[in-house]
Amino acid sequence: MSGERHILDSLGSGLLVLDAQNRVEFVNRTLAEMLHMVPEDWVGRPAGEFLAVMARFALPVALPRFDWPEIFGSRDIEWRDGESLRYFREDSAPLSTGAGGAAGGRVFAYHDVSHEKAVDRMKSEFISVASHELRTPMTSIKGSVDLILSGFAGETSPEMQELLEIAQKSCDRLVRLVNDILDLSKIEAGQLKLNLERLDVTEIAVRAVCAVKPLADKAEVRLRVDRPQPLPLVDADPDRIEQAITNLLSNAVKFSPPKSQVSVELSADGEWVQCAVCDQGVGIAEKDLHRIFGKFQQLSEGRRRGGTGLGLAITRGLIDEHRGSIWVESRVGEGTRFIFRLPITAPHSPSTAALAGQVAKP
Amino acid sequence: MKLTRVLVVEDDADIQKVIRMSLKMRGVAEIVLVDTGADCLERLKGFTPDVILLDVMMPHLDGYETCRRLKQNPATRDIPIVFLTARVQKADRERGLKLGALGYLTKPFDPMTLHDQILALFPEASSRKGEKGTGAEK
Repeated sequence: MSGERHILDSLGSGLLVLDAQNRVEFVNRTLAEMLHMVPEDWVGRPAGEFLAVMARFALPVALPRFDWPEIFGSRDIEWRDGESLRYFREDSAPLSTGAGGAAGGRVFAYHDVSHEKAVDRMKSEFISVASHELRTPMTSIKGSVDLILSGFAGETSPEMQELLEIAQKSCDRLVRLVNDILDLSKIEAGQLKLNLERLDVTEIAVRAVCAVKPLADKAEVRLRVDRPQPLPLVDADPDRIEQAITNLLSNAVKFSPPKSQVSVELSADGEWVQCAVCDQGVGIAEKDLHRIFGKFQQLSEGRRRGGTGLGLAITRGLIDEHRGSIWVESRVGEGTRFIFRLPITAPHSPSTAALAGQVAKP
Repeated sequence: MKLTRVLVVEDDADIQKVIRMSLKMRGVAEIVLVDTGADCLERLKGFTPDVILLDVMMPHLDGYETCRRLKQNPATRDIPIVFLTARVQKADRERGLKLGALGYLTKPFDPMTLHDQILALFPEASSRKGEKGTGAEK
């Protein structure tokens, strides 16, 4: 290591290497300066002592669990030094011998991401403010059109009525779009706050079915909930899970022919509660399945039916936040099943869930 | 129950008109419109509406601060306040309700149902008032 020391000391990022015995093998100059220490003093000392020094600056404590030798990790930490607050991204990886075998040690790199964090925050704030500002003119337009259509301001001709209904429908769509953009920006910025409760997904599914029933009645689509056995409870945010199921149900109804059925099928195994929303609609071509959860990736039929193109991206984001998984199965002409699973074991706090989402196997 | 007198605190003139027509359509006899939180505090001297419809984002004195001052003043603290705002996030709603508002409605609203939505908030408010004696805390 000493041969490369001057190269590693020149890096703008902090670097720490722990050996297989969980002792400090190397600290570069950048990290040492961040910690106000002399790097050479630390070689060979236990990681725990190093951790204690780091804990004075870093939140959460800057070392991930040492018993994840096979996993690459990445997470963001706050770094406080007196009055100064910066953000670092800590990437860690198992230390390789270079010959393909693992040495059992681990390497940590600390990159300053304060600027990226500031830009992210500005983006979120902009979206939040823009969404509020857009609501004011939308309120006037929607309110005025609704009042004229009600007949309050006098009679309207059938042509005027038709044109005003177009304006009304478009305004409603604009409102949905603004709501969806706001939701998605919160999810993407990791700012979605989950209010976790111990709950039975059946109750949430029934609530979602009630919410979608007027739409289903209009489309002459039957809704039903199938639950063969009582479900174990999960820790989840009831409003957010209802939003996810409502999104899936609204989609299913939109793509269903009259007189068909949309069902919510609930089941569980030892680890998961599963919720499948199944329709007998037109189905999705295999070539389109891979992009179905993307932003603004709606198929032309969806756009025609007034969708925002963000519903499934939001739904996936909501399920991911719960440490669940979501996927789709479909056959053209037979129908589509959107399936999500939530873990039966209690999820950790949302921040831990977010951390778990950032950790990927090599 | 019937709404007879409503004070609307809203800085956007167009939205004021929509609210006024929407309430007028449902037979509210007296609809008083003011533009700012300060005007709201001033207008309540000698005037007690059935409910105050309160916007949040207004210059100088925003809706939250206006609500806080109204709830601190013994002369106005029992007047029900319903926020009607473009701030739709959960945290905004929680903040409004924590300040003692009776309800929190968001924009854009449906002018056909605004009156009924406000009225629907009242039964819960009266039971809470009985429990706590300080108005409609949530």
